[in-house]
Amino acid sequence: MEKLAKTILKLRWLITIAVILITVFLAYQIKFIEINSDVVSALPDDDPDVALFKKIGSDFGGNKIGMIIVEAENIFDNDVLLDVQKLTDTLSLLDGIASVTSITNILDIKNDEFGFEVGSLIDVYQLPYSEEQLKQLKERVISKDMFNGVIVSEDGTATLILVTLTNDADIQTAGRLLIDKVESLQLKEKLYYAGMPMMVTAISELIASDLLKLLPLAFLVIAVVLFFSFRSLRGVLLPLLSAAVAIIWTLGIMALTGYTMSMVTNNIPILLLAVGSAYSIHVINKINQVKEADSRKAILTALSYIFIPVTLAAITTIVGFISFVFGSYLTMIRDFGIFTAAGTFFSALMALFFVPAVIDTFSFKGRKIKENKSEGRDSLLAKYLLIPLKNLLFKHPKYTLITWGVLLIVSAASVMLIKRSVDVKEYFKRSNPAWQAEEIMMQKFGGSKPIFVSFKGDLQSPDVLNAMLKTEKMLKENPNIFTTQSIADLIVEMSDALGEGRKIPSDRDKIEQMWFLLDGNPALKQIVSDDLDEGLIITKFASSDLSEKKEFVKEMKQFINDNSHGDYEITYTGIPFIEMKMDASLIQSQIRSLLIAILAMIFVVGIILRSISTGVYATAPIIAAIVVLYGVMGLTGIPLNIVTVLVASIALGIGIDYSIHVISQFNYSYRNGKTLHDALDDTITISGKSIFINVVSVSTGFLVLVFSEMVPLQYFGILMALSMVGSGLAALTLLPVILILVHRKRLS
Amino acid sequence: MKQFTYIFLSIILVVTSGIDTFAQDAQTLLSKMDEVMYSPKDKQGTVQIILTNRQGKEKEREAIFKQKANKSLYRYTKPETQAGIATLSLPDGVMWLYMPAFGKPKKISLLARSQAFTGTDFSYEDMATTPYSERYTPKFLEEKVDRYMLELVPKSDKSKYSKVVVALDKENYYPIKMEFYDKGNRKFKEATYTYERIGSYWNAKQVVMADLSKQHMTKILLTNVKFDQGIPDSVFTVENLVPKEEKK
Repeated sequence: MEKLAKTILKLRWLITIAVILITVFLAYQIKFIEINSDVVSALPDDDPDVALFKKIGSDFGGNKIGMIIVEAENIFDNDVLLDVQKLTDTLSLLDGIASVTSITNILDIKNDEFGFEVGSLIDVYQLPYSEEQLKQLKERVISKDMFNGVIVSEDGTATLILVTLTNDADIQTAGRLLIDKVESLQLKEKLYYAGMPMMVTAISELIASDLLKLLPLAFLVIAVVLFFSFRSLRGVLLPLLSAAVAIIWTLGIMALTGYTMSMVTNNIPILLLAVGSAYSIHVINKINQVKEADSRKAILTALSYIFIPVTLAAITTIVGFISFVFGSYLTMIRDFGIFTAAGTFFSALMALFFVPAVIDTFSFKGRKIKENKSEGRDSLLAKYLLIPLKNLLFKHPKYTLITWGVLLIVSAASVMLIKRSVDVKEYFKRSNPAWQAEEIMMQKFGGSKPIFVSFKGDLQSPDVLNAMLKTEKMLKENPNIFTTQSIADLIVEMSDALGEGRKIPSDRDKIEQMWFLLDGNPALKQIVSDDLDEGLIITKFASSDLSEKKEFVKEMKQFINDNSHGDYEITYTGIPFIEMKMDASLIQSQIRSLLIAILAMIFVVGIILRSISTGVYATAPIIAAIVVLYGVMGLTGIPLNIVTVLVASIALGIGIDYSIHVISQFNYSYRNGKTLHDALDDTITISGKSIFINVVSVSTGFLVLVFSEMVPLQYFGILMALSMVGSGLAALTLLPVILILVHRKRLS
Repeated sequence: MKQFTYIFLSIILVVTSGIDTFAQDAQTLLSKMDEVMYSPKDKQGTVQIILTNRQGKEKEREAIFKQKANKSLYRYTKPETQAGIATLSLPDGVMWLYMPAFGKPKKISLLARSQAFTGTDFSYEDMATTPYSERYTPKFLEEKVDRYMLELVPKSDKSKYSKVVVALDKENYYPIKMEFYDKGNRKFKEATYTYERIGSYWNAKQVVMADLSKQHMTKILLTNVKFDQGIPDSVFTVENLVPKEEKK
């Protein structure tokens, strides 16, 4: 170790310059980072629901369907209709938009005094303006299932403009273009943007604004904490600098390798800041503590001592992150694991190489700890927290255990109460227009989450078309489905207009000849294939509730079973089912990654401290802290979602460092001849201080996330802070008690 | 002073007559094109319609057509599922459709004139039999080696086009190419014509309409074309839509 430390100082100029150069290079790369919060693209392609969903997107001209909700007192008003038409026409011309459907161009089949027509509901050259005309329009809309609740709400106060993006469109770019264009028209109606593409656009923009707002704030906050801890320039500057370098290297490599920033990976900067600065804090703290007049010697001694503990701490944290790579269903989470692991590695690297090199090169002065007798035993921290704590533990070890025991039981029970949430809508605060938009969709239009039921077969056969109608009838019986659209419905409308009655003609010839008029109509592209061998039933599911979705899947499977036929094949997919998969994967991911992390942790710690049982003692308190964390989630209703699922493994990886600290210090004192009592005294007062500083700085870093615009991130911040406090407490109370009991047993 | 006025007046005269000449040219040229396209008293033959989508897949239709002034009758023979379907277009945008499976002919409303004609890239507007001079205001653009370029602006505000740029053959005044611009002034359709001489008339042997935004193409091929056969007016009636054999 000494040799290594000497080498580091010898190469200090090389190290400093190399780091600066690499940092500049990678910082430049960050310019090229792209934000991608499209959840669907992050789903694994080998999942059948996902594969079918993507296939329908490419075969039928897009599954990226966004909605603009136009709200007015009365939609059936000439001014409103004119505005809707303006929107429709303008948006159709935009890049990345495949089609725009609104009340002013929606397909209608009618037979009136002008003749039979497969045309549009409204005459695009002469929008209804007289009271009579508007009344007629309203009546027609209300009377037809294909309009009522689909393009206009039942109460006539809202109408939709459905925008389908081209399959290869970049959602954010197209989404932003659309919103900007709409805003530029300055219409007087109230407008909302709903549907997956619009939510993805909104989230991406929140991610960007969050990063700009929160990261500087986090730096500031941690700087304050550091100042109070070290009261020196190097104490504040160096940890922040090394964290900044680690963040730049990580993001730079993300950009270089083409990985995009998602709603999960956008946490990386703050995470690295909070976690990474800890290593530098350790190093600087040790340098300060060493009683050496010569600054270089001080650095050497400190470095030799601290090298292994910091490396060990980094390894355990990295293991925590890597567990995501194996546990997770979503690529976003896997990528998060890889890059945070890398970032942690860089932070440790900076703490051990860059910080000492810089201190030596620039002769950064620090503040020596003046007390020589008891190393801070008289400080405020020691007086009000550490010493009382130590006394408590010695007098009542059993009570401490019991308290933890009760806490654990209550928490374990509350774990059952944990809610899960994969609904993208929950990302937004209720005050956010995106959330409100989805609410309106839910209330007035049956939801914004599309379900596609695919019928493969001869779509000109009356049997197949009738089977489609039967399926639609079954679908509408579900309380969460209000409207459905398919080619079968259009044939029925056409049959009615031709005077044949509201049914599928039993004569195949009639259907074949109807195609003469329907052929080439742009609306058909989205519901039937060119060769007329595959048709879609498009509908929407109104609820986000998991049990209701499960019930629906059961009914669907049963129906397909009962109605399968040689002539056609029925399959289905949709956002609700994909959400179900994500939900199932959440629990799986959580359990898997946590188990991997725990086992790996015990193993790694055991190896380095040379005893597996020590590995177990080290891990146990942190596991306890995590159980308490879950208990808090259950009791407070904070849901498990794709962001909060990360908390446990990260907390384990970071919290274990506190245990390692405690055990290392204890072993050191105990083996150097001190009694059990004194060894513990040392442990709590010495380790206690650095654990305290660490918990405070890491927690405050995470608490900055409370100011995020995204709800899951707010929860993430709170939970991480809680778990840091919990782990710190567990390491300082539960672990010592365990050590006392173990050693007492050994002695007796 | 007198001299100056004289020169001044003659300049104005030349300039204005020049403008007049140009305007006349455009109007004259368009009329000449109409003559080529619409002069036959009647026309009949077989039309083959081939549709090609962006993946290169082709769909074919075939019909026998009869045309006289601004009336036309199409009887479809291919594909088999649509054989027997007949359409009758009459003046003022009236259209009747006969579908054998349904018996009685139905009147079709064409309020949406910009709509595609049964899956082709031609809109009802494109298929109109009214001369271009009546529907468009022409402007002379330029003269090239083998053609004249005209810009046509629709007279009706119900048109889907903001303008149509036409390339007219210099010698024979038939259209070589037409470029269609949408209301956003972007070119989105292009028609290419191939004309042949039959008797005293020019016949559009082939017309290819390409929709650039949808990447879709329609090719119309005319064969067995005969002009001035003296087709009686009774052919272009609703009663005649229903084939004789089916009339009971």
